[in-house]
Amino acid sequence: MNLVARRKFTNLFALTLSLLAMAFGLFWLIWILWMVFEQGLGALSLRLFTEMTPPPGVAGGLLNAIVGSVILVGLAMLMATPLAIMAGIYLAEYGQRTWLGRSTRFVNDILLSAPSIVIGLFVYAVIVAQTGKFSGISGAIALALLVIPVVVRTTEDMLSLVPNSLREAAFALGAPKWKVITMVTLRSAKAGVVTGILLALARISGETAPLLFTALSNQFWSVDLSAPMANLPVTIFKFAMSPFKDWQELAWAGVFLITLGVLLLNIIARVAFRPHGQR
Amino acid sequence: MKSSIEKGRSGDLLFLNLTRAFAAIVLILLAGIVISLVWAAWPSIKAFGFGFLASAEWNPPAERFGALVPMYGTLMTSIIALVIAVPISFGIAIFLTELSPVWLRRPLGIAIELLAGIPSIVYGIWGLLVFAPIFGQYVQPWIAKTIGQIPIFGSLFTGPMLGIGVLAAGIILAIMIIPFIASVMRDVFELTPAMLKESCYGLGGTTWEVVWNVVLPYTRVGVIGGIMLGLGRALGETMAVTFVIGNASIFANFSLFQPGNSITSALANEFAEATPGLYTSALVELGLLLFMITLIVLSLSRLLLHSLDKNSGNK
Amino acid sequence: MMTTQTTHDLVPEISIRNLNFFYGDALALKNINLDIYKGKVTAFIGPSGCGKSTLLRTINRMYDLYPGQRAEGELVVGGKDILDRKVDTIELRAKVGMVFQKPTPFPMSIYDNIAFGVSMHEKLSRSAMDDRIEWALTKAALWKEVKDKLKKPGTGLSGGQQQRLCIARCVAVKPRVILLDEPTSALDPISTTHIEALIDELKTEFTIAIVTHNMQQAARVSDFTAYMYLGELIEFGVTDDIFIKPKDKRTEDYITGRFG
Repeated sequence: MNLVARRKFTNLFALTLSLLAMAFGLFWLIWILWMVFEQGLGALSLRLFTEMTPPPGVAGGLLNAIVGSVILVGLAMLMATPLAIMAGIYLAEYGQRTWLGRSTRFVNDILLSAPSIVIGLFVYAVIVAQTGKFSGISGAIALALLVIPVVVRTTEDMLSLVPNSLREAAFALGAPKWKVITMVTLRSAKAGVVTGILLALARISGETAPLLFTALSNQFWSVDLSAPMANLPVTIFKFAMSPFKDWQELAWAGVFLITLGVLLLNIIARVAFRPHGQR
Repeated sequence: MKSSIEKGRSGDLLFLNLTRAFAAIVLILLAGIVISLVWAAWPSIKAFGFGFLASAEWNPPAERFGALVPMYGTLMTSIIALVIAVPISFGIAIFLTELSPVWLRRPLGIAIELLAGIPSIVYGIWGLLVFAPIFGQYVQPWIAKTIGQIPIFGSLFTGPMLGIGVLAAGIILAIMIIPFIASVMRDVFELTPAMLKESCYGLGGTTWEVVWNVVLPYTRVGVIGGIMLGLGRALGETMAVTFVIGNASIFANFSLFQPGNSITSALANEFAEATPGLYTSALVELGLLLFMITLIVLSLSRLLLHSLDKNSGNK
Repeated sequence: MMTTQTTHDLVPEISIRNLNFFYGDALALKNINLDIYKGKVTAFIGPSGCGKSTLLRTINRMYDLYPGQRAEGELVVGGKDILDRKVDTIELRAKVGMVFQKPTPFPMSIYDNIAFGVSMHEKLSRSAMDDRIEWALTKAALWKEVKDKLKKPGTGLSGGQQQRLCIARCVAVKPRVILLDEPTSALDPISTTHIEALIDELKTEFTIAIVTHNMQQAARVSDFTAYMYLGELIEFGVTDDIFIKPKDKRTEDYITGRFG
């Protein structure tokens, strides 16, 4: 009996620790989100969306940063998504056993988790160093490079979930392979592919590091892609690290906007996926 | 009739090669990254050779650079992060798979995934403006008074209580990677066949005994893969670390309370103002080093995780 | 195998009275009443979904692992009603062992697989443990095949050997009852024959309840047979009686293969 009692105690002890670990994790999530909402809401005002980033000591907003971010992120998605979907189609429909397929899949996984700062350095070395200046377009390219592995992965995964019987039914009607893929397979995997795109979008919305060496930032209104472009993350970086109170407030506001956007995108992506069900 | 079949065939060929080309682009990308980084880092590689790895100098005006301080910061913060995150993630994964009531599982799982989706800049700003003051004022003195008193080991926990520094950065990093490691562990724990767990329960095993003696050995490979994935993320993390590590390029002593630098924070802070030439080249070489390290860690983790997929398929 | 026997030698090891089992709101076992006799092999047969596995898993409270599953009624094992919440399931599972449909060797060595179960209930010295393991493996007709590779992983054995390892693991704990849930359904015919021979020997020391979808197997190994259909116990009796002259038409339909 002593043995069993000891075992039961160990069990209780271990499971209590596990509960505490869960509470620990939730504690940080709640605290961080709470601070973001508290500080961010406090700094929220209409001015954020109507005025540019100011010098310290002057009231202002985040308009140029917001607009710049929208441009960079939008451009990146536009460049990356078609390319990534096509590559994902290759991996799922043609390349399950080919050398190219296996290598690309492996490399894609590595790029998926590669530090984003290294991607930024790459774009710097290839574009910024060559052209001699920081530019918005190089920032968009850097972000695009972050999107590609995510969308390739989710596209391939979603296409693989489509049952073979569906493909065979389309073939049996005499359709050529490319039509089977675009009009049947891709369509039935649509929800999952869109989810992947949304998740990629959420990821790059908050990315700072790659922009540090490419688009840099801009205090003024900038929509010129060949010059440094204002964006939220780098602006937040600069403002938060500074000793100026009003800059720090603006940084919280920016963080609030980004977090809100990212959370919303995540929720939409999950809600959009579920009703369609699996298979 | 004939022309539509031919059209179909040529359409197929075109489509095949189009998708093939895009897949190849992904492949070429990796090679391109390595090559371009090496090329951009070449002046620094040539100037310092292998001594770069051993030198703790970081003197921009004199153009003398060494990777030791940033590498120490990167490795130290990542180790601290793993030491904290692995047991916690393990506990969370056990909770999610064995303890939690069923209705709670999905919401908690989603909460963990949301934590993973928060951009690192949020962790950074929160770390600097919220965590660091409290850490420096209350927690660090407490640590210095308790762990800091242990001979030898305790010297790691003494020094300036600024709230920022290597330890603070490691803690923030831990909070960041917990959701990743916990999710992988949970996914992998769920792969354990119910029949295997029931066999252990059937012998009279307690829940903990089932987890420790059956689930964990069964999923060992996946768990290690997940930990390495977390390590890869920690090594490459920029914003969460940059805000709180203190950005000191000089190495004072081994204490974790000291401010320091990681490869990523050095790059983040200095790149924009670096004078083109040897300075930027040295920074790029740092980035190259980081890439090589994460490449090895991530390849290993992917290989491990894929081999678990294959094994579980056979069972 | 028994033909007719006086009821004097029959001692119920397990008594089931008015057992109802629920998966959530759905009633899966309806008013089961039967005795499982000590030292005999009792087989449970019936078409898929009739509840035979569910019944087996009530005996060692395996359903406890799954919220939403519950049992009502009385299930007496070794004198205690084990459906009572206060009963210690760890102790129960030391007395009632289970072998599953698919072989489930733990990811450890052959030696550790068996020692693991024993060490949960008894503290044995190294030599006593060695003896127990040899005894258990001999009982499971596996000793000769593995005695030189006890440190090798259990997962490295063939399917039939793995299942015998699971039987040895179960036997080593010295339970009173062994529950076998379709133990040979994942094995080839030769391994199946080995295990059936094993059951015949084990019943001298243990009470055995076996669920099987293979009627011929039930006829071969068991002393008593229970026919179940849609959660109800249709007929229970001496095996030969059930198979040669079943009392209930439904039993007869199943046995003659008219359905199921």
